[in-house]
Amino acid sequence: MSKVTLNRVWKIYEGNVVAVKEATFTCEDGEFLAIVGPSGCGKSSLLRMIAGLEAITRGEILFNGQVVNNLGPQERNIALAFESYALYPLLSVYENIAFPLRAQGLRKSEVDKKVRSIAETLDLTSILKRKPSALSGGHAQRVSLARALIREPNVTLLDEPISHMDQRVRLEMRARIRRLHDEFKTTTIYVTHDQGEAVALCDRLVVLNLAEIQQYGTVDEIWNHPANRFVANFVGEPQINFFDGKVETPHDVSVPTKKGKATFKFTGKVDQKYVGSEVAIGVRPQQIELSPSKEEKAPIPGSVELIEFQGDSAILTVKLENLDNTEIKVVVPGERVGSVGETVWPEFRPEIIYLFDKETQLPIKRT
Amino acid sequence: MAEVRLENVTKMYGRKIAVNNVSFSCKEGELFSIIGPAGAGKTTTLKMIAGIEKITSGTIYFDERPVNEMPPQERDVAMAFESYNLYPHFSAYDNIAFPLRAPKRGERLSRAEERQRVEEVAGFLGITGLLDRRPVELSGGEKQRVSLARAMIRKPEVYLLDEPIAHLDARLKFSTQTALKRLASKLGITIIYVTHDYREALALSDRIAVLRRGVIEQTGTSEEVYSTPATDFIGRFVGEPPINLIDGEVITKDKKTFFNAGDDFTIQIRDELVGEMEKVVKQEDNKRKVRLGIRCARINVAKDKISDNSFQLPVYAITHEAASTLITFELKDTFLAAKIEGRVDYDMSEKVWLDFDQDHVLFFKKTFEISKA
Repeated sequence: MSKVTLNRVWKIYEGNVVAVKEATFTCEDGEFLAIVGPSGCGKSSLLRMIAGLEAITRGEILFNGQVVNNLGPQERNIALAFESYALYPLLSVYENIAFPLRAQGLRKSEVDKKVRSIAETLDLTSILKRKPSALSGGHAQRVSLARALIREPNVTLLDEPISHMDQRVRLEMRARIRRLHDEFKTTTIYVTHDQGEAVALCDRLVVLNLAEIQQYGTVDEIWNHPANRFVANFVGEPQINFFDGKVETPHDVSVPTKKGKATFKFTGKVDQKYVGSEVAIGVRPQQIELSPSKEEKAPIPGSVELIEFQGDSAILTVKLENLDNTEIKVVVPGERVGSVGETVWPEFRPEIIYLFDKETQLPIKRT
Repeated sequence: MAEVRLENVTKMYGRKIAVNNVSFSCKEGELFSIIGPAGAGKTTTLKMIAGIEKITSGTIYFDERPVNEMPPQERDVAMAFESYNLYPHFSAYDNIAFPLRAPKRGERLSRAEERQRVEEVAGFLGITGLLDRRPVELSGGEKQRVSLARAMIRKPEVYLLDEPIAHLDARLKFSTQTALKRLASKLGITIIYVTHDYREALALSDRIAVLRRGVIEQTGTSEEVYSTPATDFIGRFVGEPPINLIDGEVITKDKKTFFNAGDDFTIQIRDELVGEMEKVVKQEDNKRKVRLGIRCARINVAKDKISDNSFQLPVYAITHEAASTLITFELKDTFLAAKIEGRVDYDMSEKVWLDFDQDHVLFFKKTFEISKA
């Protein structure tokens, strides 16, 4: 097992294309870390540099404190699994898994013992004789994982390993991958474009955009304390609602309405210098509750424009007529859907209000 | 706008039945979805409604008119398919405006009216900035929205949409779906919508028909199909996470009825449910077998015993959503998942108590074998 440290790592491709800019983070020994971001953000370049498949332009990558910049992929002892399984089509599942050990010249009995043990863990015992062409996607990816893990690697790198699978299989594979990590305690770095997957699986996230790390923290930190508007927008489905407001006092913010303005309290307080300044108010659809009547924390009426049923929950689009017809999304439990045209009063409770500086896009500091 | 009604419609290709005795009606102004896995007969059904595919037996009505013999151009339907079929040498604008310029459509629009219509639809679908581009300059998702806009520009009797947003990435799918639903409810149009993606169907539809191997297994609202799936297959196909299906044995002891799925996993079935359950119990190897279904959110999990009817299982793995936790358990031939509000953590293999909310327990006939992914 290893601790993986990136120290001001850059990747610049020919023609001065910056793919990764000054990336610094640590994946602790035994940690499950996600690198997540939209396509083209640099996450795959980052992974390939950690794997040793791509040269590092500047900076250092360390495994347990040792610089590995100049080591090849084999010397780094990395397990890699990609979206495509890259199994040897002519070899059985057993032989595919055994392959890395045979390459190391291990004794036959030793190989057998290890293959059977990892097959047991990954629930592959019953299909050891099959050929890859006879496997479902979930099976094939498990074989690919078994082959990667059998060498007892320092680090496991997973690049969108299940993003193409169908929903049900994906959920079960998530559980399997998490279980595998918990059992082996391998240091695991998981690359995905899907924030939901990253949140589901990982202890900590590195959120990447435009070659730069936007935030590096636990799910809780990223959800509750996004480092900027990009992160706030990126995490959560449906996305966070934003509307314009003005700081009235160090603990109140207001929004202009037809009749003047509505004021909300927020938790903590901001510096006096912000009083009077325009801000972006963020409220997550998952955190808003709807009140059937006007209340202090729910001063603005809205009409339900659209109901999108999801199963356990539904997403309502609520139009706030007094608020310049701003539309917000609200997630409600599936059994309390209501009907289109209904009047509701969204509660903007102090603890669910996020404030961002409109120019810098950064959160406004609260104490 | 018209009501579309199918009465005992069957389609055979040689001896193969693609659509088997299908009946439903899509009411005027309704968004009616047909969902099912690949090969279920969804597209064939849609093509018969469009008139591109002949009906082997049965009748399709538009309002009260049978249209079996009516050629496609006379049926006045607008279609968008998964493949975009855009004219490559036309701009997106001209592609969208094309149906308005076709002869025979009576009303001839002025340039200004045409532009207004195109821009309105394009605005709804978020492609206003792309109108001057040719198809080669568009991404797959953009082409698909242009194709959808072209279908939506006319005011036909009925719109037939076949996987119209399948190629959009998750976020865009989401916003386009919202735009489409809004357009539909604003215009009050009749739409028959085909998709393999239950999420789209649940979110968009007034009603849904679930097709499997050419047969409709259930027709109902999104809520009905989700909460009371008619078959084990529908429960598995609709919803994320899919419904938990557990095969077990029915045991009667001291006038009480129990469901047992191995080891500690025994629950007493409430008397009111026994009747429903008995309807689907099957005798197998001298045992009385049944398949139990329960949604993840209807299973409570706690460190301490929850009720007299709760039982213990070791935790297999824990995954999260932003505001909830999914706890997975491993059974002999399936995984069982419970969804708990908030973020909770248990150790791997820790034994915890589970409790089923019996207001939401369903029993099914087994129509397919479960396997683990």
